[in-house]
Amino acid sequence: MLLIRPLQESDLDDLYAMAQKAGKGLTTLPADRDLLQRKINLARETFNQRCAPEAGLYLFALEDTETGKAVGISGIQARVGLDEVFYNYRLSVTVNASKELGVHVRTPTLHLTNDMTDTSEICSLLLSDDYQGGGNGLLLSRCRFMYMDEFRKHFSEKVFAEMRGVSDEQGLSPLWDALGSKFFDMEFMEADMLSGLGNKAFIAELMPKFPIYLPMLPDSARAVIGRVHGNTAPALKMLEAEGFNFNGLVDIFDGGPVVEAFVHTIRTIRDSRNRHAMVTRKAVNLDVPAAERVMVSNRSFRNFRVTTVPASCVGVDTISLPPDVAEALQIESADPVRLAPLKDRAKTTVKPAG
Amino acid sequence: MWLVRPAVPDDVGQILEVAGAAGSETARLSSTLPRQRDALAEKIELSLASLDGKPTTTGARPQRFLFVLENTSTGRVHGTAGINACAGNSQPFYNYRRDALIHASHELGISSRVDVLYPSHALTDHTLLCSFSITPELRNTEAFELLSRARILFIAGHRDWFASRVAVEIQGVQLSDGSVPFWDSLGRHFFNMDFETADQYSGLLSKTFIAELMPPNPVYVTLLSDAAQSALGQPHALTVPNLELLQREGFQAGCYLDIFDGGPVLEARTDALHTLVTSYPKILHGSSEEDGDVCLISGGEGAGFRCTLAKATEVLGGTRDREAVKVPVSVWELLGKTAGDEVRVAPL
Repeated sequence: MLLIRPLQESDLDDLYAMAQKAGKGLTTLPADRDLLQRKINLARETFNQRCAPEAGLYLFALEDTETGKAVGISGIQARVGLDEVFYNYRLSVTVNASKELGVHVRTPTLHLTNDMTDTSEICSLLLSDDYQGGGNGLLLSRCRFMYMDEFRKHFSEKVFAEMRGVSDEQGLSPLWDALGSKFFDMEFMEADMLSGLGNKAFIAELMPKFPIYLPMLPDSARAVIGRVHGNTAPALKMLEAEGFNFNGLVDIFDGGPVVEAFVHTIRTIRDSRNRHAMVTRKAVNLDVPAAERVMVSNRSFRNFRVTTVPASCVGVDTISLPPDVAEALQIESADPVRLAPLKDRAKTTVKPAG
Repeated sequence: MWLVRPAVPDDVGQILEVAGAAGSETARLSSTLPRQRDALAEKIELSLASLDGKPTTTGARPQRFLFVLENTSTGRVHGTAGINACAGNSQPFYNYRRDALIHASHELGISSRVDVLYPSHALTDHTLLCSFSITPELRNTEAFELLSRARILFIAGHRDWFASRVAVEIQGVQLSDGSVPFWDSLGRHFFNMDFETADQYSGLLSKTFIAELMPPNPVYVTLLSDAAQSALGQPHALTVPNLELLQREGFQAGCYLDIFDGGPVLEARTDALHTLVTSYPKILHGSSEEDGDVCLISGGEGAGFRCTLAKATEVLGGTRDREAVKVPVSVWELLGKTAGDEVRVAPL
C-alpha cells in the first residue's frame, strides 16, 4: 500500500538517494545531506507544533508500506518571504506613446517584485522513478490540498507553485545566459543551487533592481519567459486542472512561471467529501486502476495520513475500509475521514453526504 | 579674410548648402542645425531676436544664437556655430548619466561593477554650444578655430547672458551604412523609428516626444549590444578635430551621454574656458602694416558682434585698465570699429 504521512527522521537516507537521482532542477530539494536533515527537523517541528504556524514547512513522504521506504516527497511552505526576501519578476508592460508622432509602443518589461511574500507555496514534489504512474504523482501532489483545506487557518488564502523553467540537457538556461549571468558571474546551476540551499541574501545583493526591458534581451531568452521545462509540463497540466493559473510572475533565474489558485477554489478541495469510517472484515480488492480510486485521509494535524481505496468502498455516509487500511490511516470505525477523487473520472462516484 | 558674424536671413541658402551638401560626409551627422528652409529661417529670426534682447511672446528672453563663418573676399558662408544660453529652453534637457553600482555579496566573495544609464535632466539650463558645421576642407584650419572659439569670445563679451557651466554634445558613433549602434540597441525599441527620423524630430519638435517615448527607468549597460556598449561615450570619427579643439578649450567628457547616439557630452566651467581666461578687452589702434602674432579679435555687442583673425601688436596708449592694441585698419572695418573703441583679443 502507498501511504502519505508526515516526513520522519528515518527518511533521510531515502530522501538523499531520491534527491541525488533527480539531479538538477529541483532547487527546493538539493542533494545535500545537512540541508535535508535541516528540512526534516523543520518538518518535525512543524507537525509537532513547536514552531509558529506561518514558519511551518509541511513535508509529506509517500511510503511504500511493504518496504517501509519513502518513495516520494511533497511539501507546503506555510508562508514564503518571512525571514528571507522572496523574489520574482513580474512580466509587465511599459507603454510609450506620442500623439504628436502617432507612435504607440508596448514594451514587455520585467519588474523585480516580492509579490508572493506571505503566501503559501506548494513545493518539493519528487517521486521515485520506480513509482511513476498509477496515480502516485497525483496522490503525492493532491494530498497537500486535502491537508490545506483541513487546516485552512495555517495557510494563506492563496497558494502558489513555482514551475521549473526551460533549460537544456547541460543545465543551461537561455534566460540566465542573457540576464542573470551578466550580474552574477557564475553558472546557472551554481546560482540555482545556492538559492536552493537557502543562501538567498546573495540574490538581493547581486540582482538588477531596475526593470528589464525585454526587447534588449535576445530572442532565445524572451522565448522562454513564462514557459516550463518539458519535464514539468505534466505537473503544470495537473495544477491547471486543479484550477491554478499563471499569475504573471516568473522565476528570476530561468523564467519559469508561477501559478496560483485560491485555496477554496482548488478542485480537490471543492470535490472533497466527509465520511465516517467503517472498518469491514469483508475482503476488498484494492488493486483497481487509478481512475477508480479515491483518496481518503484522516483528519489529524500531527499524523496526517492519506491513501487510496477503490471508489466502490464509498457509501452514502460511510466508507468501508479494510483493517490494514484503517490501521495505516490510524483510525477506527466511526472516525471521521475525508475523501477526494484521485483522478477526475472518479469524481462522479463520490456523492455528497446526506 | 575670415569673419564670424551673426547669421542673417539672407544666409539661409548658403547655410543649407554647408549643412546638407548632398553627398558630403557631414550631411549625415546629427546636428541641431535644421535642414529645412523654414525651420532654419525661423532659427535665424530667433537668433536675431536673441541678439537684440527682445522678449518673446512668452516674456522670456530668447537665448539662442547662430553665427556664420564668412569669407569676406567672396561673401560666401563656410560654416555655422551656435550657442544656446539655456539648454532645454525652459523645458527639460535630456541626457543619460552613466553611473556605476557595485553589486557585492560578502557571503560569496563577489564584487562586480554594474554600469547603469540613468535618464537625467541635470544639464538643463547649462549653456550649450551647438549647431557647429563647417565645409570639410576648412577642418583643422585657423578658420575652423576662429568659428568655434568666436562663440567663447561672444560669451566673454556678454557674460551675464550665460550660465556658469557650458556643455557641448558631440556626435556619437555611426557606421558607414548610417546605422547607429547605440540607437539600434536601445532607443529604437521605444521610439519605434530609425535614428535619422528621431534625430530630425529632435531638431524640429518640442522635446515632449522624448519625455513620452524614452524608457522611463535606468538601463543596464551590460544588456546593450556589444557594438552599443563600445560606442558609449565615443565620438564620431569626423568630430575628432572639433573634440580636440574643445578639449584644448578646457572641455572634458564627464558622465553624460547623448540619448540618441550615446556620444559624449563635454562640460566645462564657463569662467575657466581657455579663450575666456586668456582674452582681454583692449583699445583699438591703427596700423598700416601687418605685424605681430595672429589673434582672435572680437568687437561689438549683440547683433553687432564680429570676430576675425588678425595680426596684432600691443602698443602704448591704453587707458589705466585697458592696454592698447594695434591692428591693420582693414580689420577695423570688418569689426565695425574705429580707433579708440574697445575690442577683445585672445591669442590663437
